[in-house]
Amino acid sequence: MKTRNRFLYAFYALFAITLFTGCQEDYNDIEPTIAGIAVANGSFNLLEAAAIRGGVAVVLSNENPNDPNGSYTVFAPTDEAFAKLGLNRAEDLAVLQVPFLTSTLLYHVSNGDLLSSSIRAGLSSPSLLGPNRRFIERGNDLYINGSKILATNVNAANGTVHVIDKVMLATGVDIVQSAIALSNANVFIVPELSFLVEAVLYAELAGALTQSPGSPSFTVFAPTDQAFRELGQLLGVPLEQPADIRKLPKETVTAVLLNHVIADGGRFTPELGSGPTDPLGGVSLNLGAFVDGALTIRGNGNMMPANIVIPDVQTTNGVVHVIDRVLLP
Amino acid sequence: MKLSQFFATLIMVGLPLLLCAQSPINGFMQGKGKGNVVVSYFSESYDEVFLVPQKIQGVPVFDEVTLNSVSLFATYGLSDRLDVILNLPYITAKGAASEALLNDLGFDGERSGLQDLSVYLKYNPLDYKVGAGTLRFIGALGLVTPLSNYPVNEGLQSILAIGNRATSLNTFLLAQYQMDMGLFASAQAGYSLRNNDVPNAILSEIKVGYAGKSFYADAWMGSQRSTSGVDILGLGFQGFFPETKVNYTRAGINLFVPVAKGFGISAGANTYLNGRNVGDATGFYGGIVLSY
Repeated sequence: MKTRNRFLYAFYALFAITLFTGCQEDYNDIEPTIAGIAVANGSFNLLEAAAIRGGVAVVLSNENPNDPNGSYTVFAPTDEAFAKLGLNRAEDLAVLQVPFLTSTLLYHVSNGDLLSSSIRAGLSSPSLLGPNRRFIERGNDLYINGSKILATNVNAANGTVHVIDKVMLATGVDIVQSAIALSNANVFIVPELSFLVEAVLYAELAGALTQSPGSPSFTVFAPTDQAFRELGQLLGVPLEQPADIRKLPKETVTAVLLNHVIADGGRFTPELGSGPTDPLGGVSLNLGAFVDGALTIRGNGNMMPANIVIPDVQTTNGVVHVIDRVLLP
Repeated sequence: MKLSQFFATLIMVGLPLLLCAQSPINGFMQGKGKGNVVVSYFSESYDEVFLVPQKIQGVPVFDEVTLNSVSLFATYGLSDRLDVILNLPYITAKGAASEALLNDLGFDGERSGLQDLSVYLKYNPLDYKVGAGTLRFIGALGLVTPLSNYPVNEGLQSILAIGNRATSLNTFLLAQYQMDMGLFASAQAGYSLRNNDVPNAILSEIKVGYAGKSFYADAWMGSQRSTSGVDILGLGFQGFFPETKVNYTRAGINLFVPVAKGFGISAGANTYLNGRNVGDATGFYGGIVLSY
């Protein structure tokens, strides 16, 4: 009987072991990484997809080797932020070249923990990509470049996350080289700003918009290729390919282009006030109200205002806003 | 064993949350020269993943993953106290990502192949008559090894890997008390030693059921606890899924009904109760059992 009891105890012991090993663990005290937050949070589906496509998901799962605390700070654009660029699903990211997407993601990242207490209007913060981002105050809101900071100090195992309402873009080169990069399909997989590049070359304005020591910085409204095609229809001069720009008088092209450049040091959307503003061409542009991070721009000769389709692109000598209509003086 | 002791055992079984993907080892021996062959079809799917600290909605890239497998399972009594068990599954893992996304990322939407061959020796050295039933002890030793060179190191594509391509050496110790009337309860614990950077694991399972002449039914809970490993997207994760810590508690039921002499059908279902770095899958199977 004793032997039997001993075995029965062994049986119970086995049950106890299985029960013990089967007990549910509590994972709530495990801090997610930045990548983990992006994947777990339902507002960051596009950021998750971008991090996967851009190859930074594993980087943001780990400690930062270039920071003593192993931290990164990420300004994380929401799904709505991506939607403002027409990027609604993971598939839509395929319109972007992968190296550009990776650079864009790295522009949202910096070394160390940059907590909200250290963020103030007027300060700037270097990105992992290289170019600085600058903090701007408008009303009661704080912006990083053109992106409103929606939430701050989300703590991660490898750093800090702040939530923003627009994707930040930086080219790392000057205005002319940025436009050329777009026209060479180094940003989108299809060329963009090709007509603008041709126009700038034709009007011999490339030198003025190229960065050199001591050169000024600008705010530039850059019309899309479609905007130039529509202008051609308006003028009755078919603009089917970029070279067709040269069918227009050089002085006209020059005047139109100068109507798109403001010598104000380069301003992001929250720094642009509504009302008239003077471009290099001398005839005032009329800026619309700043609503949900965007505003319209109307040239003196326009019936309808232009919309910004890609706002706040940081270059080394100014800020470019891509617009859907050519601004006529 | 008094009835009260048996129910005490049952209560222990029914207590908290428990155990694992179904163990290949149960508390029944075949008898010398006897055995059975089971061909089964299993299907499970998940669109949520147990990550830490929280479960996520939507499998990265693939959104939803469906696993289908056809398994050949055979067991044979080398003697009254020694069985040999073989299991070989062919697995298809399919994701729900769009063709556009798959093309963009250069991913495949489906992976399939022969997975891992399991060979177990199951030894029953001791049976004790206790009350109106029998207390039985079983030890088992098994080798599980991949039969095909299926890829496992393809970043997120490996969410659809059909296994972790480790060879593992598994040991189990099992105790079962079966009443003469057919009710039984069993508990087992095991250790799985694995190569190829796949963390070793502690396995356990408890089961209660009824084994009678006209049918068999059981309910089980089983768990795996990896002894090391990283979390998916956790610190130290390098995109190599086999080295992740995989913990889970799974529960399920099995039914078997003999249809004619030497022939029966089986069916079952199981689901995850909790987990870590594993899809929250629910699955169903059906099989044909040939006994000899």
